[in-house]
Amino acid sequence: MKKAFWFIPSCPEVEEELTEYLEGAPPFRRRLGIRVHLLICRACDALRRVLEALPALGRKALEAPEAPAPEAREALAGALARIREGGPGGRDCGC
Amino acid sequence: MPDIPTEAETLARAQAGDPEAFGALVEPHLSLFYNAIVRILGNAQDAQDALQEALIGIHRDLPRFEGRSRFTTWAYPVCVNAALMVRRSRVRRREEGMEVRVSHGDGEGRPMEVEGSLDWSVEAEALDHMEQAEMRALILKALDEIPETHRIVFVLKDLEEWETEAIASNLGISLALVRQRLHRARMALQGRLKSHLSGRRP
Repeated sequence: MKKAFWFIPSCPEVEEELTEYLEGAPPFRRRLGIRVHLLICRACDALRRVLEALPALGRKALEAPEAPAPEAREALAGALARIREGGPGGRDCGC
Repeated sequence: MPDIPTEAETLARAQAGDPEAFGALVEPHLSLFYNAIVRILGNAQDAQDALQEALIGIHRDLPRFEGRSRFTTWAYPVCVNAALMVRRSRVRRREEGMEVRVSHGDGEGRPMEVEGSLDWSVEAEALDHMEQAEMRALILKALDEIPETHRIVFVLKDLEEWETEAIASNLGISLALVRQRLHRARMALQGRLKSHLSGRRP
């Protein structure tokens, strides 16, 4: 979308500032300009929806599986071995 | 049949120094802890090492845990901090030359590659189009490909749901830089995931 009014930012400007906009960081007048841009620009509004959806998409995709990963079990086994040895990281015995 | 000890009993024994009790205390939460770490580090081996250090730290500080909060609430930040420490100590490999560029338009005022995103499945239900494991692998790979400074902000903000102020404080950067890195990470991720999601909507 080409710049129609002075207070409406261009597509590259909106693309660059979308995350700040979604956080409510820009000043009111800038937020208003971006809001108007998004109302009339399907491409930028689609990008906004994508960026808004990413966190939920990522959280759902990466949510913890019920069974711990083998690496997690290995880490626990290693930690317990070190704890039993009283090696580095063990508690101070006070002596 | 022997009584199954409660978490409070297990905690008390672990605080007294019983390694088996400590193992029993943390084992139900291993996935939670490990996933937080692996998201930050993006590497299974580094995550294993960081988790081991975190568990040692949790064990060391356990006598100071007074039970005013849930055990996971107290222990989880220890794991995140362990991951952040590993991250800080890493040689900043792959950073040079991997600066993610955000497209700046096609000369007509329209951002490049945005039009294609119109077909995106933008809800989390997009996962229905793919096997969870496939999407998981894809997102982990995409996270691994973006610069570490950007990934850490994305993970803390969008996956771990930290406040922007807390991220800025923890990483020692400004709020504006947090938002800038978050934006770069999101743009990079959407660019990498787009081809796998678009066009799959029935």
